Amino acid sequence: MTTFRIAGKGRVDHSRSVHFAFDGAQYAGCEGDTLASALLANGVHLVGRSFKYHRPRGILTAGSEEPNALVGTDRGNGRFEPNTRATVLEVYDGLKAESQNRWPSLTRDIGAVNDALYMLFSAGFYYKTFMWPKSFWDKVYEPFIRSAAGLGKAPSAPDPDTYASRFTHCDVLVVGGGAAGLAAALEAGRSGASVILCDEQTELGGSLLSEPGAEINGQLAWDWLEDATAALAALPNVTLLPRTTAIGYYHQNFVGLCQRLTDHLSVVPEGAPRERLWKVRAKQVVLAQGAIEKPLVFAGNDRPGVMLAGAARTYLNRYGVKVGNRVVVVTAHDSAWHAAFDLAKAGVEVAAIVDIRGTVSTQLAATADALRIRTLIGWTVTGTRGRLRVSSVRVNPVTGGTVGRAQTIACDALLMSGGWTPSVHLFSHTKGALTWNEDGQMFLPGRGMEECRLAGAGKGRFGLKAAFEDGAAAGSAAAADAGFTAEPAAYHVEGELPFTGVSSRDLPTDRDPGHAKAFVDFQNDVMAKDIRLAVREGFKSIEHIKRYTTNGMATDQGKTSNINGLAVASDALKRPIPAVGLTTFRPPYTPTTFGAFAGYNKGELFEVTRKTPIDGWAEENGAVFEPVSLWRRAWYFPQVGEDMHQAVARECKAVRSSLGMFDASTLGKIEIVGPDAAEFMNRMYTNAWTKLAPGRCRYGLLLGEDGFIRDDGVIGRLAQDRFHVTTTTGGAARVLSMMEDYLQTEWPDLKVWLTSTTEQWAVIALNGPNARKLIEPFVEGIDLSEGAFPHMAVATGTICGVPTRLFRVSFTGELGFEINVPARYGRAVWETLFEAGQLYGITPYGTETMHVLRAEKGYIIVGQDTDGTLTPDDAGLSWAIGKTKPDFVGKRSLARPDMLAADRKQLVGLLTDDPKTVLEEGAQIVLDPKQPVPMEMVGHVTSSYWSAELGRSIALAVIRGGRSLQGQTVHVPMPDTVHAATITGMVFVDPENKRLSA
Amino acid sequence: MLLANHPLLGKTIPGDTASRLNIRAADDTARFSLRIDPAAVQSAGTAFGAPLPTRIGGMVEAGGRTALQLGPDEWMLMAPVAEGDGIVDAFSALGETHSLVDVGHREVGILVEGEAASLALRSAIAFDIDAMPVGTGCRTIFDKAQIVLIREDKTRFRIEVWRSFADHVWGLLQAVSREIALGI
Amino acid sequence: MLLIRCPYCEAERPEVEFTYAGEAHIARPTNPSVLSDDEWRDFLFIRSNPRGRHFERWRHMHGCGRFFNAVRDTVTDKFAMTYRAGAPRPSDEEIALAATSAATRAKDARP
Repeated sequence: MTTFRIAGKGRVDHSRSVHFAFDGAQYAGCEGDTLASALLANGVHLVGRSFKYHRPRGILTAGSEEPNALVGTDRGNGRFEPNTRATVLEVYDGLKAESQNRWPSLTRDIGAVNDALYMLFSAGFYYKTFMWPKSFWDKVYEPFIRSAAGLGKAPSAPDPDTYASRFTHCDVLVVGGGAAGLAAALEAGRSGASVILCDEQTELGGSLLSEPGAEINGQLAWDWLEDATAALAALPNVTLLPRTTAIGYYHQNFVGLCQRLTDHLSVVPEGAPRERLWKVRAKQVVLAQGAIEKPLVFAGNDRPGVMLAGAARTYLNRYGVKVGNRVVVVTAHDSAWHAAFDLAKAGVEVAAIVDIRGTVSTQLAATADALRIRTLIGWTVTGTRGRLRVSSVRVNPVTGGTVGRAQTIACDALLMSGGWTPSVHLFSHTKGALTWNEDGQMFLPGRGMEECRLAGAGKGRFGLKAAFEDGAAAGSAAAADAGFTAEPAAYHVEGELPFTGVSSRDLPTDRDPGHAKAFVDFQNDVMAKDIRLAVREGFKSIEHIKRYTTNGMATDQGKTSNINGLAVASDALKRPIPAVGLTTFRPPYTPTTFGAFAGYNKGELFEVTRKTPIDGWAEENGAVFEPVSLWRRAWYFPQVGEDMHQAVARECKAVRSSLGMFDASTLGKIEIVGPDAAEFMNRMYTNAWTKLAPGRCRYGLLLGEDGFIRDDGVIGRLAQDRFHVTTTTGGAARVLSMMEDYLQTEWPDLKVWLTSTTEQWAVIALNGPNARKLIEPFVEGIDLSEGAFPHMAVATGTICGVPTRLFRVSFTGELGFEINVPARYGRAVWETLFEAGQLYGITPYGTETMHVLRAEKGYIIVGQDTDGTLTPDDAGLSWAIGKTKPDFVGKRSLARPDMLAADRKQLVGLLTDDPKTVLEEGAQIVLDPKQPVPMEMVGHVTSSYWSAELGRSIALAVIRGGRSLQGQTVHVPMPDTVHAATITGMVFVDPENKRLSA
Repeated sequence: MLLANHPLLGKTIPGDTASRLNIRAADDTARFSLRIDPAAVQSAGTAFGAPLPTRIGGMVEAGGRTALQLGPDEWMLMAPVAEGDGIVDAFSALGETHSLVDVGHREVGILVEGEAASLALRSAIAFDIDAMPVGTGCRTIFDKAQIVLIREDKTRFRIEVWRSFADHVWGLLQAVSREIALGI
Repeated sequence: MLLIRCPYCEAERPEVEFTYAGEAHIARPTNPSVLSDDEWRDFLFIRSNPRGRHFERWRHMHGCGRFFNAVRDTVTDKFAMTYRAGAPRPSDEEIALAATSAATRAKDARP
């Protein structure tokens, strides 16, 4: 195979070849290559098909702005990544990459028929094409859009890699390691400030890497670069982060950096994270991101082999790769001439330099003459040919605005330059203002919102000397603002290139511009004529034009297309560019993996899984768990051969007939202490607390100020000035926060303090007729007899020798105790009681059985039977309101007219006519099942279970005016049938509460 | 007495060869949350048997007892387990209005020690740990868990975390330790 | 992530330690029962929702635990100042003074 590598040239290691596969074919590159440079070295330009028209596409750029050369990479074990830019993908031994958007193969692609049908796919084609007939939507249009949508293949296996993240604070963050960034980092680093210098490329240097001929302070560029990098590395206060992209710039100088750690390695160390997200808080930021070259817009500018001139120069000087054997350069800017000169000097035939400008500097013209390069000044390009690679270019003279006769020049690469756009993306993330620079035809940073400076080409200061000096000034000023002293060094640069040019819209042509396939956005296949069509159809704002044409909306965020699109729109609208505006740049700067954002939070660490002190026992004893807020709770304890239904029925029976034990440790607990504790309770809860004696408990109901139920729980008074409050599992943090809010901001005069004790106590709930018998031998210091320790009593003592707060409460309707013990003894007490309880057939039960048992008694669960719109009366809890209290949170709202309406939804019991039917929770309820659809819904089922005790199903529901409808039949329509049910009271088992004191 | 148990009991994350990082579960300790009007801080110190710090973040260690001020009227008190009952008694005799709540079982202590200690913590803590003075502490967020972070020395930190969040913090520290040992 | 100055800790702390708590300076009526339905509705639900300067409450939930007040611009997200709960609403002059003395001076990007 012909090689396009030039021996000894560039920064790659010619002595170390690297073998990789692209679309199944084996290739060799050099260590230091990107996939793009390695493919070009093998003469491969065609690397993909375009998104919409499936046009053959090549490599356009040499950097992260690449719109065309997107590939899929397979690192094995499910590590497949689509849409990786070949221009930043470092080759390593064993790399497997494939082209995208083609079938069956890159060279023979069926989808290319779209290119012939391009008229169908003009601006807004989705909106126009998929309008009618309506019946086509489901069967034709949506499947078509779905199959066509999306770039690349999504990976199908879970990502096996790990990711890291790190917070860092520094004095000065420098983004971009080119001439300006290096100079800034050197100044700031030498001042003693802590400095982070990041650059998205493999090595620091930026454009210096493509500029080996320049001399800086008497040193050749690469020698200077080596010394500068070494000097920075030697400073302990400087952190150098190559392969690190600044992806987003957020408030108060918070900048996200994504560092690629292992993707370039052929052997990845075991357990090494793939990427690390740095979350940097910098006192000062210097943005030195350089500039991005603009393509020229002409027919056929997207053919493989058509490339930005600066990229060709980079491939030549940095990677030692010539992009063709016979090239033509077309340009509006001086910089492309240097690409031509460098290529000519490297032995590449430069067939012509076509400059659309009327005049160019005599120095450039003289150098071209000396290199025997034909120059066409004041000419335009009107087309290219070549099926899978450019083979010729069509050029025409332009005189006085008239396009003359075409000539054709054969070539195998066409290099273009439409000038340079400062990369102001990160600055724009902070909502920094951009101002239009008419001379340079570019947007430049204006007033900023953050402690931030821009430097070098990223601020429109082009050329090496300007970049160094601007960078040094920015770096020393940033260090000074961070509290350090620095004097910017002077830079002497030899071999500086002239850097002038003009900006253009789509180039003039002698053909019908309405048929010119002159691309503006390569990744989204947007042509100049699409933008002009959008304007003709009435779009005036660039934000609307962008969305209608999709210009700049691809994964490259229009890095190479935004300004060209704007120039075309401005021309079509006949309004100056600043009046047309610029679309907004948003993070991330380049596509970033989800893994980097997730960091450590995957697998076991995806989210906190809170476990109780007894969780380990439950796990060892076969519990099935369910998540309840962040907790995992034992759901049920199936025995061998049991399904959930059988296990729950057995657990329920055990509790009602003998004894069950339940881990209630997740209940929220708040200790309320102080002389005003009772007054505070009076104001927070609906109930009256003043007369509750120490040693007694009460069910407490908490409302929001809007009068709706927020939480509930049993509250014990331990002493005159001390309450032990319990909350729902999910409500613990919320309730404490709400209490703190009232205490701190409304009633700061109250002498009372709140402390979360949720995790101080493990809670074992024992329920069943044998509960007292079990614990009696283990309890000391508390008389457990019915008279001394009745239902709703609380006392402190010891159990199994450890301190306990013992509650006589029941959430099942059976004789019940809630044994609070210090958390570290929770499991040991549980195990002791479990052993001793064998005598009574003690049965551990989970949350499902707890739910069934409480529903049989009509006890509500806040958040299940209530939904934030139920008042105490709606829930049948009017008895819990302290009627004589002048005020409590939510009281005033209970008197609002809507809260007193007769047809409010009320919580009721529901018994299905067919006792075997267990309704679905959430099912809607109607009065008349024969009414036409949509039916009038009067409520819904909130709780529904099989009651083993009753041998039938039970349910709770909220129904409009439900309590006055007792005994009436309602209907629950389901997809296959309609269930009839009768409205009842809420208590299904032991309405006289005899069992509580059994 | 029954067997005391917590999620990290006896656990350590061994340091790498260079011993830049050593992480282990702290020994059991008595802990109290004290809430009292800052004007009464002196008498509270007398009851505790060691002076209390007087600014948020401040920490005083004396005679094996540690007091850390977490809020305007909030202190975390730590003492050897055996001294816990005595502290309760001393405060019950305190004339000033206050709230003393035993939170000894609520939390688990994790010691993070070594040259790379602050680096390890920076993986999950957003504030500038390197700027945190030795001998101070504060409540903060570690990844998704609320913790109290104490800087005992330049290279020694203590994390206090509610026991059900301890596994999460520990798991993250394990991942970070591996990453630091790899030097990547 | 924002940095928020807690007026109790007297330190700038990361946003993750804080929770937002709605508009500031809306005191709960001392005797709600004397309020008309409309007055009570206004207290419960009606908020200023301004574009620009907003007086709002935050809590240093995972720090010192205190609720406090802040003046923040809802367009730029920048805090002009924070102050303790119970302190009066600061005047324009006080806010301007606090904003200029704060370290968040915007700079012209071009020297």
